[in-house]
Amino acid sequence: MNSVVFGKRTFTEIVRDPLSYIFCLGFPLLMLILMSIINQSIPNEANMDIFQIQNLAPGIAVFGLTFVMLFTCLQVSKDRSTAFLIRLYAAPIKSREFIIGYTYPVVIIAILQSIFTFLAAVIIGGIHGYSFSILNIILCMLVLIPSALLFIGFGLFFATLLNEKAAPGICSIIITASCMLGGIWMDVDGIGGALAKVCKVLPFYHGVTAARMALRGDYSDLLKPFIIIVVYAVVIYLLAVLIFKKKMQSDVS
Amino acid sequence: MNSAIVVKNLRKEFGNKIAVKDSTFEVEEGSLFSLLGVNGAGKTTTIRMLTGLSKPSSGDAYICGHSIVTELDEVKAISNISTQETAVAPNLTVEENLLFMARIYGMSKQEAKEKVEQIIKQFSLEEIRRSKAKTLSGGWQRRLSIAMALISEPKVLFLDEPTLGLDVLARKGLWNIIRDLKEKVTIVLTTHYMEEAESLSDQVAVMVDGEVKACGTVAQLKELTEKDTLEAAFIAIAEGEV
Repeated sequence: MNSVVFGKRTFTEIVRDPLSYIFCLGFPLLMLILMSIINQSIPNEANMDIFQIQNLAPGIAVFGLTFVMLFTCLQVSKDRSTAFLIRLYAAPIKSREFIIGYTYPVVIIAILQSIFTFLAAVIIGGIHGYSFSILNIILCMLVLIPSALLFIGFGLFFATLLNEKAAPGICSIIITASCMLGGIWMDVDGIGGALAKVCKVLPFYHGVTAARMALRGDYSDLLKPFIIIVVYAVVIYLLAVLIFKKKMQSDVS
Repeated sequence: MNSAIVVKNLRKEFGNKIAVKDSTFEVEEGSLFSLLGVNGAGKTTTIRMLTGLSKPSSGDAYICGHSIVTELDEVKAISNISTQETAVAPNLTVEENLLFMARIYGMSKQEAKEKVEQIIKQFSLEEIRRSKAKTLSGGWQRRLSIAMALISEPKVLFLDEPTLGLDVLARKGLWNIIRDLKEKVTIVLTTHYMEEAESLSDQVAVMVDGEVKACGTVAQLKELTEKDTLEAAFIAIAEGEV
């Protein structure tokens, strides 16, 4: 029960911050529109399909999730830097209720963000004569949940370990890494070599690939990247939970 | 009179440093008990232990009969704290902050709403009830912070330097609120302001280097030190003259 009450507070705090609309919604949608326009200028001979709407939309959806990480991180580190969390430590609220209360509101925000991203993608696709399968969009949104959990885990992790000033900086590095090495803005498979190997060791590429395959309806190849991103998400999230609990215990020891 | 708080040989060590040295004192139900001491004397550490924000190294304390060592959940349910720093959710309105705290302490939606109305009236928050907490002045934020501590209807309320950094008028306003609470709630207050302790307290304890050096009414402390004011008595105790 306390997790619901605490989560409602977390949700309200985030949605009342105008920056969350700019970064979680405005920026991904702007990139979707911009990249679609750029794609129109790319000649077919270039064989560059990464900016085609069916590949771009899942990439942008993952890109949007990186900002969900940033806002999770900002919220937790802000709470930790003020006496607000200390006051709540003195209240009858358990560590698991804090974690659930930090997680479910941002999952809701991530889902809402995906809905808006795909709505925009459907409109842009419609303009350019591409039609999406509603079933595949729903599947893609489900496939994005482990990526959301992964980024929420990163946000919780850095906010717990670092202070309010350092944590968002580290999140910016993760945002850049996930965009570049996740294959959102570049064709990792086309590059090959050592860079592609590095990309495939990290979780971001698998999250983007799984989302693209789900949207394309490429069910047979979906399982492998999906399982990899699920494993990464579970490990990072559980690690973040463990660190948060340890930190909470040390705060009250 | 029953004791709402019984502290027995409470001790807190941070490595080699002893922050609180085997403190023992009792606080009567419905009274206001002030903990005085210079910076680093152990006041806040004592309050942190009594509210479950810090584990004692040894000893125990009982809040309305519940041990802070073995019955912390029960202790948390019947006590509340207003910390030194203002502790409010900045993007929530005054009303939402109060509602949030009431719900965290287990009140139903209806109960919480009724309690919020009562507290808003009690703390004269009507005008600012729909203002976001971050837009309030320091004095109003502190008032809200104390209101949030009181909305759970605690039996014991801990106020850690509640008037720190406030102007004279805001301080006097909070004193009136605290005075109104006396006898309804047992209050433990830490402060650096002697006139605050003198004006509000039923009992005063002076902590020096983690130890409770003297405990009694203001009159008793003055008599003990043969001084005319609480400030002079405090200095005499803090400097080891008695």
